Amino acid sequence: MNEPIELLIQSEEGKNFLLAPTVGIFTCALEPGQLLVPGQSAGSLTTLGVARTVVVPAGCSGRIASERFERVYQPVGFGTRIYELEPISEGQSFETELASEAESSNLVLCSSHAGRFWHRPSPADDAFANEGDVVEDGSVIGLIEVMKTFTHVHYRATGGLPPRAKLLRFLAGDGAEIKNNAALIEVEPA
Amino acid sequence: MFHRLLIANRGEVATRIARACRDLGVEPVCVASTADLGAPWLEEMEEVVCVGEGPAGESYLRSDRVLQAALQTGCTALHPGWGFLAEDPRFAALCLQHGVTFVGPSPAVISRMGLKSPAKEAVRGVGLPVIPGSVGTLDDVDEAVRVASEIEYPIILKADAGGGGRGMRRCENEAELREAFPTAMAEALSAFGTGRLYLEKFLSGGRHIEVQILCDGFGNGIHLYERDCSVQRNHQKLIEESPSPVLSTDEREELGAQAVAAALKLGYVGAGTIEFLRSAEGELFFMEMNTRLQVEHPVSELVTGVDIVCEQLKIAANQTLSFTQADIELKGHAIECRINAEDPSKNFQPSPGTLEIFELARGEGPGNIRIDSHLRVGDTIPPYYDSLIAKVICHAETRERAVETAINSLQASRLDGVKSTIPLHLAVLLSREFLANDYDTSSIPGWNPDSPAPESAS
Repeated sequence: MNEPIELLIQSEEGKNFLLAPTVGIFTCALEPGQLLVPGQSAGSLTTLGVARTVVVPAGCSGRIASERFERVYQPVGFGTRIYELEPISEGQSFETELASEAESSNLVLCSSHAGRFWHRPSPADDAFANEGDVVEDGSVIGLIEVMKTFTHVHYRATGGLPPRAKLLRFLAGDGAEIKNNAALIEVEPA
Repeated sequence: MFHRLLIANRGEVATRIARACRDLGVEPVCVASTADLGAPWLEEMEEVVCVGEGPAGESYLRSDRVLQAALQTGCTALHPGWGFLAEDPRFAALCLQHGVTFVGPSPAVISRMGLKSPAKEAVRGVGLPVIPGSVGTLDDVDEAVRVASEIEYPIILKADAGGGGRGMRRCENEAELREAFPTAMAEALSAFGTGRLYLEKFLSGGRHIEVQILCDGFGNGIHLYERDCSVQRNHQKLIEESPSPVLSTDEREELGAQAVAAALKLGYVGAGTIEFLRSAEGELFFMEMNTRLQVEHPVSELVTGVDIVCEQLKIAANQTLSFTQADIELKGHAIECRINAEDPSKNFQPSPGTLEIFELARGEGPGNIRIDSHLRVGDTIPPYYDSLIAKVICHAETRERAVETAINSLQASRLDGVKSTIPLHLAVLLSREFLANDYDTSSIPGWNPDSPAPESAS
């Protein structure tokens, strides 16, 4: 696997842009309207036949406001604008699309990206949810911290998970380092 | 012929290559750093690909980005110009590997001529005279002492992979040589990654004479006679002319024929230059070979009528040379002045800035004037690259008329916003030593750095 490469950030007149960090053919562009957070994969750039994943750099997040390139395989130069980002206001949570995965026969909610998983909004507060609580589609169950940016983790009734569920146990501890698609909680229908 | 060609360079040479491309119906595409985006020469291009930030190491020297730029813009050939990646055999090999024609000789030839002692051995093997010295590199200090006593002191120790004076030591006797050997080796090792040294007889002064050659891929080769580049400052050429005023017709014919024979034996393909040192006694010694286009190529073009860049492209496109040596006729005399953004009164300190007035006179006579430049009034010279602003190249029937043309042109030229080397050129061209050929590479004729010539061009 080739090393991922970070996009460059450019701010101009209050707008943020993500730029190509090298010369190559860009593909696997994300769709307009999608949210980008630091560390997220946002396409692939091929230089001299070597494909590398491009990732969103630290300190930059937002919703994609630009159209995709006309071409699926778009030649770009150093500094070509790939995405224009619309800022998301502070504190606003965004839909973390949670993939689900059946671990043995249990119902499990998984993380949508890697980071550090927190059960509580801040160390002094109570947990968003406790074992035994009933969660519904849209309930916040924790935070994922990626490069000092926190995003809410919502319970989502997708991938076979019921609309209402009882939280049986946390599979990732408070403050645990988690990988992409890591199991966070185990639930049963409520 | 190619449909599209990538120019892996910037500035004056990018303009020059683009012109040759247009003459042959090839679409030029050019790379650029962020510092050069919006530069005037890019307007002549079909397409421009930005390859990185201003410093050359992050843009023009990034071989992966430059080659990828060629691939994704549909270029089937790449011209490296001079400097940057022009003499990097790995880059030439990478182009080959990705199916892009590198306009130049094969990677093997570039790498052989890039190291000093193999280059010297190669040309010794094909019969060119070389400066007396060690055969190949030296094993140890005892071998150095033995070789030095054979060729007699003074000698100079040089790094095999060297350049820029590092790892070089001049020695007058055995004691000095024994003392200098280990330090030169350590210096070479830290600067170039190899401590291999060779030595040769130290020759001071002399004239720098170089032969322009053109070889196609079918074993045909010709020369475009020689250039004399003896007006130098710290190995930087300032004024070049063709033909050399110190060679007789017989010497000229013989030197050219020798150079072509050597290049063909080396398997050389493309345009190249073989540089010689001519000692005060009239002996000629091989110095090095440049496997690329050179800055001073226009003087050879003006005296022979051959467009060297067009010929380079034709050779790269696998065409045979369309003329023979007998078709090449030396006509008149040409002289080139390199106008740099440097302040001659302040030890040639670079003078980046904006060209507020930029009027180079073309019609002052008596000869013809060609001005090769990539800049216009109002343009800014960035601090990252070399300081060349323009080349003023004059052609007339005789050397005297060519010099007169150059003087008239420079005196009528106006340039402001940056300091330029025009006062230096005028001092040289007006000097008795220059006209009488009474100078060598060790000093600049007519120029006294302590009392610069009066500002003739304001």
